[in-house]
Amino acid sequence: MRIFWLLFSYEWRHFRAAKGLVLLCALLLLTGLYGIYYGTTEMERQRQHLTTLPELSRRNVEELKVKFPGPADAGDIGYYHTTYAVHHPDAWAALSLGQRDINPYYVKLRLLGLQNQLYATDNTNPMKVLSGNFDLAFVLVYLFPLLIIALSFNLLSSEREEGILTLLLAQPVSPGVVVGAKLAFRLAVVLGLAWLLSVVGMLWAQVPLDGRVLTWLGLSTLYCLFWFGVALVITALQRTSAFNAVALLGVWLLLVVLVPSLLNLGVAAAHPVPQGIELTIKQREEIHAGWDRPKTQTMNRFFALYPQWRDTATIRERFVWRWYYAFQHLGDLAVAKQAAAYANGLQQRYDLVEKLNLLSPAINAQSSLNALAGTDLPTHLKFQRSATAYHDALRAFYYPFLFRKVEFTHADYAREPTHTFTSQPELSTALRGLGKLLLSVGVVFAAGLLLLRARPINPR
Amino acid sequence: MHSIAQKEFVSTLRDKRFLVLSVLVLALLLAATLVGRASYQTLQQERQLAQQTVNDQFRHQPARHPHRVAHYGSFAFRPRSGLSLLDSGVDSFTGTSVFLEAHQQNSVNFSQAQQSGSLIRFGEMTVAFVLQMLVPLLIIFLCFGAFTQERETGTLKLLLSQGVSLRQVAWGKIWGYSRAVALVVAPALALAAALLFGTEEFISGTDLVGRLVLFVLSYAVYFFLFIVGAVVVSAVQASSRAALVTLLGLWILGCIILPKATANLGATLYPAVTKAQMDADVHEEAQHGINGHDPQDQRSAALKAGLLKKYGVDSEEKLPVSVGGIVMSESEAYSAKVYQQHFADLNATYKRQNRLSDWVGLLNPYQAIRPLSMGLAGSDFAHYVHFQQAAEAYRYALVQRLNALQTSMGYGDKERKLDAHTWQQLPLFTYQAPPLGWALPRLLLPVVALLLWAVGLSWLGLRLISNSRLA
Repeated sequence: MRIFWLLFSYEWRHFRAAKGLVLLCALLLLTGLYGIYYGTTEMERQRQHLTTLPELSRRNVEELKVKFPGPADAGDIGYYHTTYAVHHPDAWAALSLGQRDINPYYVKLRLLGLQNQLYATDNTNPMKVLSGNFDLAFVLVYLFPLLIIALSFNLLSSEREEGILTLLLAQPVSPGVVVGAKLAFRLAVVLGLAWLLSVVGMLWAQVPLDGRVLTWLGLSTLYCLFWFGVALVITALQRTSAFNAVALLGVWLLLVVLVPSLLNLGVAAAHPVPQGIELTIKQREEIHAGWDRPKTQTMNRFFALYPQWRDTATIRERFVWRWYYAFQHLGDLAVAKQAAAYANGLQQRYDLVEKLNLLSPAINAQSSLNALAGTDLPTHLKFQRSATAYHDALRAFYYPFLFRKVEFTHADYAREPTHTFTSQPELSTALRGLGKLLLSVGVVFAAGLLLLRARPINPR
Repeated sequence: MHSIAQKEFVSTLRDKRFLVLSVLVLALLLAATLVGRASYQTLQQERQLAQQTVNDQFRHQPARHPHRVAHYGSFAFRPRSGLSLLDSGVDSFTGTSVFLEAHQQNSVNFSQAQQSGSLIRFGEMTVAFVLQMLVPLLIIFLCFGAFTQERETGTLKLLLSQGVSLRQVAWGKIWGYSRAVALVVAPALALAAALLFGTEEFISGTDLVGRLVLFVLSYAVYFFLFIVGAVVVSAVQASSRAALVTLLGLWILGCIILPKATANLGATLYPAVTKAQMDADVHEEAQHGINGHDPQDQRSAALKAGLLKKYGVDSEEKLPVSVGGIVMSESEAYSAKVYQQHFADLNATYKRQNRLSDWVGLLNPYQAIRPLSMGLAGSDFAHYVHFQQAAEAYRYALVQRLNALQTSMGYGDKERKLDAHTWQQLPLFTYQAPPLGWALPRLLLPVVALLLWAVGLSWLGLRLISNSRLA
């Protein structure tokens, strides 16, 4: 054990003397800090945008109050009044932005049919979303493995190439201890950096102190350990530094770049999603057919679903709002099956990736961090369901006005339901990810140790 | 020099590692080409079918009031450009269809990225991806030992003692490696070209040929400068290991870190407005004009009064035109104008955000080839905006035609409908992607950046080599 610490402390001196490596660590620290800065500012901006929405609704109400100074027909208000379903980020989202820049974080709603409002997107710069987010999760998942590779590609090979290894192993030191001490030192440096950045990120993002702190640390630790395991396997092959560098980078390329992009293709092919556009086209047909169908037919279909309004007056007018909103809603119902199939299709794609991400710890780590922060697809689908429920609540609020012919007064604006939704973490996904990472770590370390045992270290 | 080139070429081909790597890259390239084509065909067919469906639906509407038709509206689907099967650019991150209706400009919805989890953010397997990121890696593995190995084995001295200059050795090596790289890349590009021109859907002709030729040329320059760069690094570094580590470090910086960092920094520096805010602003400003759905609006009243005066009558009933139609038409013109200003502002903001990355292209060839490649493939941001503008122009023209129809119906138009055959005479949405001549001026910066790199490296780098005391 004493020898282990001796070697460990020599590694430290070595490391301090190697300007390049210290610089590399400093650079990674800076990129990590930039990642935290970027993530928190981006989430701050989304939050700030979300706070402007009630203000937009308020301006809209002011305008309507001028437009309809007295008691108004609720149908007019439902048509002109816009409100928003909002998706607030969790504090953790700042550390792992996931798909929050791609999926809209608010939906503008009117009392009209829901399905042609639900999929509207926000303004996005496609070049920027193509390039992706430089958040802390990116630094951990993409760049930390590269640091680990840079620190350990010449773990033994440089000593061998410089002829030191012969001298070292001539001492009463077992090769296992040498490799162990070297790895342990690098592990300490890398984990120190990862933990430091994580803690800084958590403080900066002001995350609540709960089990997720440990889950995040556990995920980043295991992910780093996995890459050290890979380095151990490559070291155990005992080839030249150049070979090691190429091999390690090859593994990185395979797991971080190639497997994800190939898996993406495979999943898209295995689960073709029914195009969302089909359902919006069909909904439009249904709604506009509503204008041309006999009113009693439309109303009877509606009353079958909402018998509580059946006893309302028979429609004789050319146009009346309750009929208009009835066929808007029937349009939504006509595509309910397609809407569910669309959402299910997306969820199935996600689930399939979840199953297959054992193939690449990088995908696993990324999706676990996103799940922890509640920034991936399932959370967005939950938000869409929540927005749908909000639209239902809006209809429930307006229907009594429309069907009982109650006048809509200025005081009623304040009674209209409002919506809020905050991302919930997908904890079970994150914990499953933790388990799978543990498995990957076990596999690489077992392979590395077996290799080392099978082929004792050759000093030359 | 030729014999050096020949030697490098032959020994490269004999190198098992290179063989394995290049077979891998070639396989990926071919796979990416085939996958790109398959996905191109599926998406294209889906969109054509959907466009056909909505067109048929539009033409087969029953007798309706024209303003009903304006709200029934239509959809515009973005057809994919021919070369997007090689470089899908931002296509996966932009919407595919937009609903076109009266009074408002809707967002382009249903992007590929929204239909996938965060997996898509790892990058997509396209030909461009292999060419931009993986082939440079192959080049690095191929060339890092160009000089260091000769020096380590002592063969460089032998070579120089035969009266060959260092510069000649360098050029010989560059030429040899270039041939080896061409051997890997050419089959895939030939397959792509065969796929592009071998099938009937791409008979579109010279524009596509021009784009493909420039596409291939740009990548040739890109690979060339990587080869020269790698040879130069190999010459100035002390050992093979140092050369390799330097080159890999540069690759990571240029292909992984910088593109993301600059794109993010650009977005942080120039914040863009949200769609909700923009719509509210457009609405508010349009209110200063006339609101088509608002009979209480004073401006509509003034317009009506003007009409009565113009036709010399005292009531709306006696007018030969529908006041509703005229008010609607004026209102649409006004709000469309306001929207155009805001849309231009938004795109100017996005351009400023992207400009940072474009300028970094002068420092980082990857950020020069990326916009150039997707620009030539017709899958960049500018082409997307072109589609959005075409869709908006069609929407505006369609709505205004319908407003004119309503106007011509005269007083009491709301009680009446127009015949079903009216809708068959309205134009349908057809989209013509812009020609190469439109795209090229927008790609000047990346072209200049790539050429500067190629010339600069060949000149300065080679001078560096011949001035260094290598042997």
